[in-house]
Amino acid sequence: MTGSDGTGGTPSAGGTAGGSDIRPVATVDPHLEPSVRHQHRMEMIVAGSFAAAFVGTVGLAVVYWYGGQDQWEGAFLGLVMAGLGVGLTAWGKYLLPQGPFVQERETLSSPSAERVAYSASFERGVGEMRRRSFLGKLLGAVLGAFGVVALFPFIRSLGPQPKLALFTTSWRKGSRVVQADGTPVHYNDLEVGGYMTVFPSHDANSAISQTLLVRPSSSPFTTKPGRETWTPKGYVAYSKVCTHAGCPVSLYEEQTQQLLCPCHQSLFNILDGAMPVFGPAPRPLAQLPLYIDKKGYLRAQAGYDEPIGPGFWERGA
Amino acid sequence: MITQKIDERVNWLDDRLGVQKWARKSLNKIFPDHWSFMIGEIALYSFAILILTGIFLTFFYSPSTAQVIYHGPYKPLDGQKMSAAYESSVALSFTVRAGLLMRQMHHWAADVFIGAIVVHMCRIFFTGAFRRPRELNWMIGVMMLFLSIANGFLGYSLPDDLVSGTGIRIAFSIVLSIPVVGSYLAFFLFDGNYPGTQIIPRFFILHVLLLPAAIAALIGAHLAIMWHQKHTQFRGNGATERNVVGSVLWPTYAFKTLGFFFLTTAVLALLAGFFQINPIWQYGPYVPYHVSYAVQPDWYMGWLDGALRIMPAWEITAFHHMVPNVFFPAVLFPGLTFMLFYFWPFIEDHFTKESVTDHNLLDLPRDNPVRTAIGWGVLTFYFLLFAASATDVIANTFSISLNLVLWSFRFMVVIVPPIAGWIAYRVAKEMQTWQDAGSRKRATIIVRSADGAYLTEEAEPRPGDRAHLLPPAEVPEESLAPAVAAHVGGAGPETVSPGQVGVTGAALGGAGRPASGGGVKRAKRDHRPSGLGGMLDSLRPRRPRD
Amino acid sequence: MRIHLAIPSAVVVFTAAVGVTYFASPAPGAHASSLGTGASTTPTTIPVSHNRSQVASGKTLFIANCSTCHGTNAQGSAYAPNLVGLGAATIDFWVGTGRMPLPFPTAQAPEKKPLFSASQRHAIVSYVTSLGKGGPGIPNVQLKGANVATGEQLFSLNCAGCHTIAGVGDALSAGYYAPSLYPATSTQVAEAMRTGPGNMPRFGPQDITPQQLNDVVAYVHRYIQHPVDRGGLGLGHVGPVAEGFVAFLVGIGSLLLLSYWIGEPAEKRESHGAGA
Repeated sequence: MTGSDGTGGTPSAGGTAGGSDIRPVATVDPHLEPSVRHQHRMEMIVAGSFAAAFVGTVGLAVVYWYGGQDQWEGAFLGLVMAGLGVGLTAWGKYLLPQGPFVQERETLSSPSAERVAYSASFERGVGEMRRRSFLGKLLGAVLGAFGVVALFPFIRSLGPQPKLALFTTSWRKGSRVVQADGTPVHYNDLEVGGYMTVFPSHDANSAISQTLLVRPSSSPFTTKPGRETWTPKGYVAYSKVCTHAGCPVSLYEEQTQQLLCPCHQSLFNILDGAMPVFGPAPRPLAQLPLYIDKKGYLRAQAGYDEPIGPGFWERGA
Repeated sequence: MITQKIDERVNWLDDRLGVQKWARKSLNKIFPDHWSFMIGEIALYSFAILILTGIFLTFFYSPSTAQVIYHGPYKPLDGQKMSAAYESSVALSFTVRAGLLMRQMHHWAADVFIGAIVVHMCRIFFTGAFRRPRELNWMIGVMMLFLSIANGFLGYSLPDDLVSGTGIRIAFSIVLSIPVVGSYLAFFLFDGNYPGTQIIPRFFILHVLLLPAAIAALIGAHLAIMWHQKHTQFRGNGATERNVVGSVLWPTYAFKTLGFFFLTTAVLALLAGFFQINPIWQYGPYVPYHVSYAVQPDWYMGWLDGALRIMPAWEITAFHHMVPNVFFPAVLFPGLTFMLFYFWPFIEDHFTKESVTDHNLLDLPRDNPVRTAIGWGVLTFYFLLFAASATDVIANTFSISLNLVLWSFRFMVVIVPPIAGWIAYRVAKEMQTWQDAGSRKRATIIVRSADGAYLTEEAEPRPGDRAHLLPPAEVPEESLAPAVAAHVGGAGPETVSPGQVGVTGAALGGAGRPASGGGVKRAKRDHRPSGLGGMLDSLRPRRPRD
Repeated sequence: MRIHLAIPSAVVVFTAAVGVTYFASPAPGAHASSLGTGASTTPTTIPVSHNRSQVASGKTLFIANCSTCHGTNAQGSAYAPNLVGLGAATIDFWVGTGRMPLPFPTAQAPEKKPLFSASQRHAIVSYVTSLGKGGPGIPNVQLKGANVATGEQLFSLNCAGCHTIAGVGDALSAGYYAPSLYPATSTQVAEAMRTGPGNMPRFGPQDITPQQLNDVVAYVHRYIQHPVDRGGLGLGHVGPVAEGFVAFLVGIGSLLLLSYWIGEPAEKRESHGAGA
């Protein structure tokens, strides 16, 4: 910036500084010097950055005026911020003193006298508590009890108790099988190799009762001994809630007759009672027993015979 | 003069609060210079951007699961029923000026925030900066990491789109899996069986108030402790356990760090402008029986998702009770992770017994091969879990069987981390034997003498060589300068005037100070001047530069 | 001062990109939905002509390219299924997407450049369907008047589980995969839904009505294949994994480079100057 920059770089020769009869050369401590030789050029760069930031600001205003557009907004906001950031950093790095400077660290721990004094002061109160320990204990007991009581309504009011909610769904004996929009499902509705998501008619769209209806074949088949009548006309229904983490199991692999959960890739064998064959799911999906009523519509013989979905403490086996 | 006016104001404040003593010390505070010391600032500034953009978003977001019908410019959603939360998030992205930019900036800032925390934590770990006296700050940092991950997940869930809704469903199952109290906790948190009615408003208040307040308080403590204890530093250029060598806060460091704030903002703004993140309108509203494949959480939750995926299909059932599968990878495992990280300084100290003294000088990773090996092993383990959260994407991208990918990860998470640790150990050991590993070598010149002998000598230092060529100096303190100048053989009046010093001298504090610039500091290191110079020099480390 | 150059050039590049995407994206309200108009009057499938020369040329092509596996009369073999009675849509889909003919039997036939021209394909369809009745015909897709909102809902319910909500596809079990929907034509999307190729389930007209089929196809054609990426680069539409990489490589990466600039002390010439 000034002429001193060019000439002042020459340091006083070693040994001259201490002598009191030789006046030190008027010079600048290099610790306080800017790090660049051409300060004027750096000032122009900093000024240019700030100018770019101003241009960005104008641009941002114009974009807003015209209703906004994400890319332009990002570009101009980025320009404003980058202009300011580059300018300030360059100012700090190239035009301000760089040191390096040094500083003592203070000892963090208190002197031992201070520690002794502290224990003495603290003892004033602790001693009192010790002397009247009965009062202290009573105070603690009351505060503790109040704490529990104060928490109770807060926690308890947050939601209902689970009770049996996790053990049941809204599928009942005779529940009509409907699609999400309430359309009842006729046995002609699915071609072999088709699938759809179904609900009990009185609880369409239920997150808990959602069930995957698959038709792997045109005639009944047995998924597990004892479930011979559960698959009329080749329709089979499994809970859509994964037994692992509860995601909707909705990948029906028609060729391999498997269901894949999209979240953690558990794989269930449709023809084998939805036994898990791969991935982290520990249990098969619950199977819904189906029958076809006189008009040809699908209904549930009964609700699920086990809790659906992911495990929980009270579930047992 | 302006400074005079400011002085009056400051004096007014000082009369009431006594701020100047503290402020003077603060302005003269030294911050060690190293690029890796800036990583924490990336996190800090990302957090600031999160707050600023987050405030903007709250003006337009409606935290409600009330069902509304969307009517807006995005036709595939026109007329669809959806939650008010999702509707307002889509509207924010389409019709609010700069709404999409703010939303995307918020999301990118979250990704970068937690990423910077992790990188920062790696720096702290591998350099041993968590050792006494900084164990507390390490623990605060670990708490912030976990709170940030939790808050990131909550924020990711708020738009109530198809992908995030699936994440909430998994969260319900995870809470449900906690032994004894799981089902109660889940029902209380969600207000009933899944999907409940209260989860969005509750997540919202946690996300915008409770957790940010906790994080902000911890950041305050983190910085205050760092300020009080002073920053760690690497060896070299006179750095010792008892001093700090680096830049002065005012003005140099302040300008640079403010510049870094703007640059962080710039990077986030450009990301938000040009890289689309979480296009919720393409995902559609959350419907409990709809789902998309390839659903992953944001990257910082990936290690948990990966753990869920590769967990074998085990479940404990006994005495009519069950400990479900997800409990192990999603509750127990992160709990243990937190404990391991949280107590690491004490675990390490149990073996090394290093905490008898303060450690203000940092290790290089090679200085402590065992720690470096453990760090790499752990890092590799969590990275593999993160990669395992993309088993399907990996299988699809590289046309490998999904089953093979999953099984590979099940083995790799066990086998690879020890190997990575061992390699890190060997590399660290090897690097210990290299002279000046990692530093730039100075050229050697071969000279031929007059009588024909060949000699090698080191070249003169070049501008590209390391910067810390100057020995560190005491920060000039204006208050001392005139009095001292008088002592130094009447050099006072003749020293450089502020005008000659130019911008820098003036910026450093205006008047007096350049006096001591008058040669005192310029003394050769082997020459100890009297007076102020001697006084200051006694504080200055005299170790020759290596 | 690399940043100085980077920002203006980035602005220029993205200006161009923005302009292109802006004008390429459909204007709001350009296709206001008009439910049901004309849907009932147009036939739901495209009839296949069985004129003799077409069947004959189809047979020639079939015997030359398909009969090794499927048999001369398309009756199937140990390597390949019987094609008789599968319907026009099936044949048209497999041949039209290039999945057939397949040089070597694999778990899943990959999509590739079709070997046959449209007329050759029609001839093969004509020949195979002449061997036996049955199976779904080629859907007559009518995108005009389709309701993309219904399409989105049905897509989200039935398709996103495998193809992802962005339609980019993903891996299924044991080497199978749900392909990306990007290369499919409207008719091929409809054919796939009706016929369920490979591991894909079948969606018959009782389940997905012809109008719903049009809605889904319209949604796929207009919004899956041409997503509204108003937020910038789509990053492959694979979600948080790609976003995480960008956060680290672009975000943290550039900030680390910047911190190297900011955090390291400036290179200062040594006070002796050293001349350099």
